[in-house]
Amino acid sequence: MDLSINGKLYQVEDSPNRTLLWVLRDELGLTGTKFGCGVGICGSCTIQIDGVATRSCLTMLSQVEGKQIRTLEGLATENPDGSLQLHPVQEAFIELQVHQCGYCMSGQIMQAAALLDENPAPSEEEIIAGMDRNLCRCGAYPRIRKAVARAAEIAAGG
Amino acid sequence: MTETPKQKRKLSRRDFLVLTGVAGGLYFGVTLGVLPFARLKLAEYLDEAGGPPMTVDAVPLAWFEIGTDNLVKIYIPKVEMGQGIHTTLAQAAADELDVPWEDVSVLNVGTGKGLDDPVGTSASNSTSSLFPVLRQAGATVREMLRFEGAKLLGLAAESVSAENGFVTATQDAGKKVSYGEIVGAVKEWVVPEKLPALKKSTDFKYIGKAMPRVDLLDKVLGKTQFGFDVRVENMAYGAVATPPRLGAMIKSASAGEAATMPGVIKVVIEDDFVGVVAERREQAWAALSAVQIEWSEVKVWEQAEIEALVQVGNGRGVTVQTEGDAEGHLRGSVLEAEYYTPMVFHAHMEPQSAAADVRAESATVWASTQSPVSVRGAVAKAIGLEAEQVTAIPTFLGGGFGQKINNIPAVQAARLSKAAGQAVHLGYRRTEDFQNGYIRPPSRSVLRAAVNKNGLIEAIEHKQASGQVAFPFFPVFVSKVMGADFGAYRGAQIRYGVPHKRVDAWLADLPFKTGWWRGLGMLANLFAIESFMDELAVSVGMDPFLFRLANLPLDELGGRMKKVLEATREKSGWDTPAPEGRARGMALAMDVGTLVGCVAEVSVKNKEIRVHKLTGVVDAGMFVNPNGAASQMEGGMNMALSSALFEETQVKNGALSPTNFGAYKFLNNSASPEIVVELLESGDEPLGMGEPPLGPVAPAVANAVFALTGQRLRRLPLKLA
Ligand code: FES
Ligand code: FES
Repeated sequence: MDLSINGKLYQVEDSPNRTLLWVLRDELGLTGTKFGCGVGICGSCTIQIDGVATRSCLTMLSQVEGKQIRTLEGLATENPDGSLQLHPVQEAFIELQVHQCGYCMSGQIMQAAALLDENPAPSEEEIIAGMDRNLCRCGAYPRIRKAVARAAEIAAGG
Repeated sequence: MTETPKQKRKLSRRDFLVLTGVAGGLYFGVTLGVLPFARLKLAEYLDEAGGPPMTVDAVPLAWFEIGTDNLVKIYIPKVEMGQGIHTTLAQAAADELDVPWEDVSVLNVGTGKGLDDPVGTSASNSTSSLFPVLRQAGATVREMLRFEGAKLLGLAAESVSAENGFVTATQDAGKKVSYGEIVGAVKEWVVPEKLPALKKSTDFKYIGKAMPRVDLLDKVLGKTQFGFDVRVENMAYGAVATPPRLGAMIKSASAGEAATMPGVIKVVIEDDFVGVVAERREQAWAALSAVQIEWSEVKVWEQAEIEALVQVGNGRGVTVQTEGDAEGHLRGSVLEAEYYTPMVFHAHMEPQSAAADVRAESATVWASTQSPVSVRGAVAKAIGLEAEQVTAIPTFLGGGFGQKINNIPAVQAARLSKAAGQAVHLGYRRTEDFQNGYIRPPSRSVLRAAVNKNGLIEAIEHKQASGQVAFPFFPVFVSKVMGADFGAYRGAQIRYGVPHKRVDAWLADLPFKTGWWRGLGMLANLFAIESFMDELAVSVGMDPFLFRLANLPLDELGGRMKKVLEATREKSGWDTPAPEGRARGMALAMDVGTLVGCVAEVSVKNKEIRVHKLTGVVDAGMFVNPNGAASQMEGGMNMALSSALFEETQVKNGALSPTNFGAYKFLNNSASPEIVVELLESGDEPLGMGEPPLGPVAPAVANAVFALTGQRLRRLPLKLA
């Protein structure tokens, strides 16, 4: 079957019961998406499917046929001159130096990007609620919250 | 307890090794001479922790490379697991070298490159041990570049300066040669007899500044390779059987259906080891559950039995600190209290993982490890090679917190690879990660003290019992000689100025593996001591801040403690009333020389403790990267808060429980409070920042809960009756 990931088509063996997370990571080498718990609790494996933040450890291949999958590797874009254009969330996470080990951060960034697509100017409460199911063992929560707010500003041209 | 003054060893020219590259370029290593330095650092740490001196077979600690393209690469043996050390160490070297920040990169390398670090990345020692070394190395290379650059410009060394990647004539800014051009031209280097002076702090360009982390661009792009992400040529995936009960051993096993299941390459059955290698990870997991294993019958442990084993006065004991005659002064009316902290998991977000490629005469192991040197040794032993035949390559770590000092997955991956004859990646599922490791041991503290009516503590005694912390990672004789475990009693000493004090520690033998957990015994011991300080203050009707102030030692440490306490009080608004419905609690911690003061502001609703704000003030000597230090404070305080409020591992039906995130609850975003941090400098050398922030949080929260509710909670996680 064909998978559309970050705007590219990938061919994978047609076995609908396989978990998307392991196909992305082990078969396609898209290791930016992380494994933390495998049971939908931690959010390390968060990707977007048709723009919706989704836990790839609980997603079967059969559920994504014909859908647009986006992983962390596909979040930044290319400028016309070929240079890298970071997504506002990526920019804000660097600006606020959010990462500690960074392992949870692919999930945090994908979750935040989806959150801002839906709600471009979230309040602090909305940010906390929207990010609450993405765990960070390094405890970088205060900066995650600030960075999501900052990303909203950047996206709005600030 | 007075601080021993730090001996400083100056590096000399004999400490450096210089090589020129084939294609030009200068390689500059800080070499053997560092050995005594490393030893000194280790001795200092063990000394503080009360441990034995040990023999260290160390060689170069750091290695630079300056290319003809002006790019500077710094190789260091410390792994990046979120503490930002690659950045702080780059700051040290780049500042003294005086090169543009963008030209510097930091790499960590595997074993066998002359960077074999015996200590591993632990004990908050990375910045404090390597910072002076890298500065001196940078300054020396810069001096050598200046000397050679002057020759190339046809000028005397006195009339040029080396700055920002160029050697430039002082009189004529147009006359200059880049570091890259110099290393391209020079074939013979001379290390100056007298090593150059280091920069004055007023001349720092990067040290002490909030330089951006060097690893973040890759991290936001998803390019960073963690241990779980390793992919090598012809790699298969492994899975290894985990005992269903503590202590169970394999009696017999047969491959059964597993051998013919899809994708299975090999079912590995050895005496003490059962695993599967398959083309895909999920296939290996599926086949593993089809292997028939008979496990030995074992005692089925329950939590209450475990807690009963952890008793002061039980098992092997040792006196950790004694001054005056505590026993003699603790007769009559004394205050006594007992505290308990549970087992917890590390729960680093990246489960333990490793990949191995074992060949007939050599092996390479990639591991999410804090200690590549011990991985090398353990793997070599397990597969019958010499240590020199094994290369261990550390990856970035998705958190380690002490767990990733162990070699379990690396050894298992190597055994699978050897059996299958091809490279194998082994990444634990969370349930396996929780069962395969050395968790934080349970700990019990009994404190007694006598306080006079002026609020001075006359005598204090701390008796502490815990499972093993450091011993599993040392030769057996160490535990025989030492009695109790020095890792477990880290933080157990009384730092206050009390004329009569005594601290004793006992080691409990437990039926499961316990070991390093961020800060070792520090969190448990400080929870007990700093809660007890609050109880003592209450017993004499004194403000807990003033009570601590009254009992400080009259030495340099006491002076630093006073400053931290005062800043904590100021910053937290201690003297102003807490917002409606809230109360504050205070605690002070000292660890690896660093002091951390903390005030927690809490409320309670339906018996649930809610922490709204944590104020943390830290004196860690100097801060190489203030923003990084603040980040360590925020993260460390949050991790400690998680221990204070949520975390507990128990033994149920003979196994560790719970088995995954969710049931094992830890701090989430909405439970994370506002965190206010203040950094206090007290010297010109950085002390540790990785663990000390965990010290004062749990007692500060417990003390605040007491102030609010009158309930004294002496057990973690804190739960109101
Ligand atoms: S790995 Fe998917 S939610 Fe944890
Ligand atoms: S940064 Fe380490 S888990 Fe979030």
